[in-house]
Amino acid sequence: MPLVIALAWRNLWRQRRRSLVTAGAVGLVVLLSVAYFALGGAAENGLYQTLTERGGHVIVTAPGADDATRFEATLVEDADAAIATVRREADATLAAPLVLPTLDVPALLSGERRSRGVAIHGQPWPDPARERRLDDATLEGRFLEGDDEIVLGAALARALDVAIGDEVVAYAPGGAGYGVAAYALVGTVDLADPGAEIAAAWTTLAATQQLAAPGAVQRIEVHGTSLRRIADDDVSAALAATLGAALPDLRVEDWRTANPSTQQLLNALDPLLFAVSVLFFVLAGLLMLNTVYLSVMERIHEFGVLHALGAGDRRVLAMVATESVLLAVVGAAVGTAGGLAFVAAYADGFRIPGLASYYASFGLDPVFYLSIDPGQVAFAVGFAVLTAVLAAAWPATIAARIEPVEAMRFQA
Amino acid sequence: MTAEPLYRVRDLRKSYRVGEVTTSALSGVDLDVAAGEFTAVAGPSGSGKSTLLHLMGVLDHGDAGEVWLRGERIDRLPRGAAARLRLARIGFVFQAYNLIPVLSALENAAFVLELRGEDRAAREAKARDALARLDMAAYADRRPNQLSGGQRQRVAIARAIAADPAIVLADEPTANLDSRAGADLIDLMRRLNEEEDVTFVFSTHDPRLLDRVDRIVRLEDGRVVDDGTDATDAPASQATP
Repeated sequence: MPLVIALAWRNLWRQRRRSLVTAGAVGLVVLLSVAYFALGGAAENGLYQTLTERGGHVIVTAPGADDATRFEATLVEDADAAIATVRREADATLAAPLVLPTLDVPALLSGERRSRGVAIHGQPWPDPARERRLDDATLEGRFLEGDDEIVLGAALARALDVAIGDEVVAYAPGGAGYGVAAYALVGTVDLADPGAEIAAAWTTLAATQQLAAPGAVQRIEVHGTSLRRIADDDVSAALAATLGAALPDLRVEDWRTANPSTQQLLNALDPLLFAVSVLFFVLAGLLMLNTVYLSVMERIHEFGVLHALGAGDRRVLAMVATESVLLAVVGAAVGTAGGLAFVAAYADGFRIPGLASYYASFGLDPVFYLSIDPGQVAFAVGFAVLTAVLAAAWPATIAARIEPVEAMRFQA
Repeated sequence: MTAEPLYRVRDLRKSYRVGEVTTSALSGVDLDVAAGEFTAVAGPSGSGKSTLLHLMGVLDHGDAGEVWLRGERIDRLPRGAAARLRLARIGFVFQAYNLIPVLSALENAAFVLELRGEDRAAREAKARDALARLDMAAYADRRPNQLSGGQRQRVAIARAIAADPAIVLADEPTANLDSRAGADLIDLMRRLNEEEDVTFVFSTHDPRLLDRVDRIVRLEDGRVVDDGTDATDAPASQATP
């Protein structure tokens, strides 16, 4: 070990308690930063999961479907070929992809005495992801097993005055389908959102196609069922680009471009996390400044001797900075180890007590996955070192600029 | 004395101002020091001994006058150049030892070499050699607080000579030692001077040490009042304990 490093290290131990408290504070700040980044990552991942679970990682729609006022303009006609292309490319790109064509049909649903206009959501069943969410949201009855069955939001069922086992008739005239169909109500679902519950109606894709648009779909969603973290998702954009080339007449988007406001939120989240983290470091820096300043003032005589022996200003400056940086490095090492252990312990998912059922009631995934990338760890450690250098700057300048004779007369 | 002395001091003046009071520490000192000399600067407290050594060691600037080291004028060197000169050519020994408390004797002896940027093996070898010359090899691993005053001062001398300076300036090196340890230390310095040709200029107010030196420069009130070799010439006022 170079003598200057050894000197700095031993000097830190001259005021053991003070050094330990300061290193501990740096360690705590680094630990909190790592944990904070990881929780921020968990929140981002939660958002990512909710979005992709509901809408897919890659979405294929008809061009202009978002702005269309006519139902027909939202359709991907003769969708089998497009679905096959999507399935082929998804299989080549993702592990265990789920390709989900859907068709939402605006219709008038009628019970024996009452009617209500809704959009009937048609998709292939079974759908493990959605079934789990619906199960969490309290299902009465069962899921769909045939094309002549329907599941309703509990509020909608009450509004139609129908119960499980009753017949529900759908009217959707004007399309290429039959325009009318009768379904058996097999299940009702309680959702936390009353607005969603009174508009929720699920049936099979085949049923909605038969009702309004044979052979057509509105969306083809690709779900990467193994993708849990944004950081792991380097394939959605690539798959969207590949599908865009393969299906030039359709609009293909990955989850980011399909949700621009979410993308903006994610873009804003990282700077926000960093800004709060910087505040932690400012507090740690003030503590370090106090420690280094006291340490310098107690050793003014020694710094005078160093100057007398021939140590230049920059050398003395570097000595003080080395002590400060060593203190920070020790604290940062402990803090990083603690922070990474915390992240590792909860990287496979955790539920916040009391919040899990609340999240589930909104159909959100109640499991958070802590996630941190190496750049964020490097930021925390690098900022600790930078803070140490900045905290040392003033006291080090004092030590570097003192007059040797004056300093050697000084006794702390 | 050679034609070109190692040190040449001419009309060196220095005063200190404390509040409204200005005190003259040096009032026109002239002094030549040849290489290989063993010189004592003697005088009572406040006579200017330490100030003279500080100015010769470019630790401070005088108000007027000149200091030359090996033909180079050094009294107006800027701060950085002064530090480089001290590092390269001047060894210091202080009254209060001024060892670095967290370093061992060996590390203290090697410290100036570390500042010079010498590699570890070279500086350790030189520092061990210097400690051995001061009969301190057995104490190389001890820290200053594990050594007696005399031993600490030997380590300080080892630190000064390990870097092979042109001169060692020692400011009251025996002041914190008892008379026996002080005499032993001066004898050791004398031996280094005679056997290894190390040039020493040291200050002292202890007349009992002066019979061990070649040359005694006596200061009073900031002036050289005598520059000779006879310790018995000491005025009564210089026999201050």
